[in-house]
Amino acid sequence: MTTATPARTAAPTKGLASRLLHNAHAQFLVFGLLLCLLPSLGSALGLKASTLQTLGFVLIYSIAALGLNLLLGYSGLVSLGTSGFMGLGAYLAAYLQDDLGLGFWCGVLAAVVIPTVVGLLVGVVSLRIRGIYLAIVTLCVSEILLKTFEQLEWFTKGTAGKQSHYPSLFGFQTGRASMFVVCAVALVLVMMLTHNTVHGQLGRALHAMRSSEVAARAMGVNILKYKLFAFALATAYAGLAGALYLFFLKSSYPSTWNLFLSLNVIAMVVVGGLRSIFGTVAGAFIIFAVPELVLKKLPVIGDVSGLPYIFSGILIILVIMFFPQGMKGVADLVRRPFQRRPASGKGAPA
Amino acid sequence: MDQVLQPLLRSLETGSVYALAALGIIIVWRTSLVMHFAQGSMGMFSGTAVAYVLNHWGLPLWQAVLVGVVVAIALGFLVDFAVIRRLKRATAVGKEIITLGLIMVFLGAAPIIFGTDPMLLPKFIPSGDVSLGGANLSYNGILNISVGVLIALGLFFVLQKTKIGLAIRATASSDQTARLMGIPTRRVTLMSWALAGVLGMLAAVMIAPTVTVTPTFMNTVQVAALFACVLGGFQTFYGPVIGAYLIAVAANFLKLYVSSVWGEQLMYLLILVFLLFRPNGLIGKTYLQKV
Repeated sequence: MTTATPARTAAPTKGLASRLLHNAHAQFLVFGLLLCLLPSLGSALGLKASTLQTLGFVLIYSIAALGLNLLLGYSGLVSLGTSGFMGLGAYLAAYLQDDLGLGFWCGVLAAVVIPTVVGLLVGVVSLRIRGIYLAIVTLCVSEILLKTFEQLEWFTKGTAGKQSHYPSLFGFQTGRASMFVVCAVALVLVMMLTHNTVHGQLGRALHAMRSSEVAARAMGVNILKYKLFAFALATAYAGLAGALYLFFLKSSYPSTWNLFLSLNVIAMVVVGGLRSIFGTVAGAFIIFAVPELVLKKLPVIGDVSGLPYIFSGILIILVIMFFPQGMKGVADLVRRPFQRRPASGKGAPA
Repeated sequence: MDQVLQPLLRSLETGSVYALAALGIIIVWRTSLVMHFAQGSMGMFSGTAVAYVLNHWGLPLWQAVLVGVVVAIALGFLVDFAVIRRLKRATAVGKEIITLGLIMVFLGAAPIIFGTDPMLLPKFIPSGDVSLGGANLSYNGILNISVGVLIALGLFFVLQKTKIGLAIRATASSDQTARLMGIPTRRVTLMSWALAGVLGMLAAVMIAPTVTVTPTFMNTVQVAALFACVLGGFQTFYGPVIGAYLIAVAANFLKLYVSSVWGEQLMYLLILVFLLFRPNGLIGKTYLQKV
């Protein structure tokens, strides 16, 4: 989320091309365009369907991770309920689209709104107490939701799993490739929304809160309000990600929405780097796609079932111990020798 | 009468399990200010080691538990040596996330080391009941309850009356001041991680006969122990123990008289409502923050 700093302070004499290159929204659009081209390009280049599926899940998890990044990066709070809220979003989307026949948009809307309302209730209770309680309370909410998914058969079909089908959008029946594009578009929109949020008035309050809660409170920032906002946004993103997950995979089982998924999303944020938008996507790729695409293909250890867990767990620990800034820190470390001169526009009036 | 006494005795048994796990969490929290989310999974790992030694090496249960103690202490030392004591500069959230990473490491490692087949762990005392005013309690239940209560009481005695306990309490109240006073705080922290590991292992061995030993069998215990700390308050050592027994009793009665499926969930919701009125828990003091 620091990617936009050069754009703001860039000298006005610079060319249009370089300004576009430094504009965060342009970067997001180019990134999204490349992603949208991936399915058609991929089939030409012999990209396997399973690889495309894995990459689609990377996009979906990136959305959930961006929400958590906002929460963790600015308010220093951890939510262990991401998987529960994602699952709630997925089942709501399936229920509204398939059981009630209300279509894609109603499903997505419900999947975003209802988890957010639940999240707000949870947040109001736990954030008033102490920040550390949010992790414990969301862990518990997640367990309650998991139990609900298993027991509430009319809503979720229980452990047998809820089946769905690809939605039709604007009269166009989607398939796997077009759902991938939908996910890419959603991710780009979420990236832009996140960018705008942290660079607006809200973002300033969040930044103030991050550096010192007490000082921010003294300046008149309502800490509870902004923490609650960050948590609500995180649950809204999780709900959206859940709905997209359902439409992309066309089914949902209660066992998917367990604690590991929440932990994995935290790993994506930590490995990707706090407060970094592209870093979060990179983190999602490392945590989800690398075990799927690389580790499983390794000769001897590839068949071991617990390997992805150990991979994410050790990465979390190593990153916190040695690279507190995540992938962004690693990228800066690599880039530093090539960037001798200090940022030119630093002292210039914005 | 037996309709009240029977579930009460049963809940004291689970309460002891929760109390041991919660004691581990609170000791780690007080000495190194880390919210120990991996307490359950570390207990699971050493508990699975006990089951493995029992099922595959054919050792008797008490020897297997001794092996479990060694494994638990080794794990606690390893975690503190390799990770926690190198984290002096990390933020509180960073440390919290580290324990989340530890969960994944232990849950991934357990099936690799001990195999993927679910194992069984027998009770210490296989059979025998005592009749108490119309209610039945197994000998093993009595053993579990007394182990829980005795360990908790023993720990309180050590904390309040011995020099080691004084060192632990000093470290808990201020790590820096304790170091200035010549207390080896590093050793205190190391010991508290090992102690938490052993307590988690005991909780695992006590709960294991009622379930099968799989990587997730300690999840309920972990959630209950965390909530015991929340309910009892993080400021005292005995608060979480009281919280653990209260949680076990409340869950059991709600399951019996309200809903067998949703009893536990209902209890957690009630705790949340309770926290709205007493945010610092039952025995909590107000938390003050300096600028």
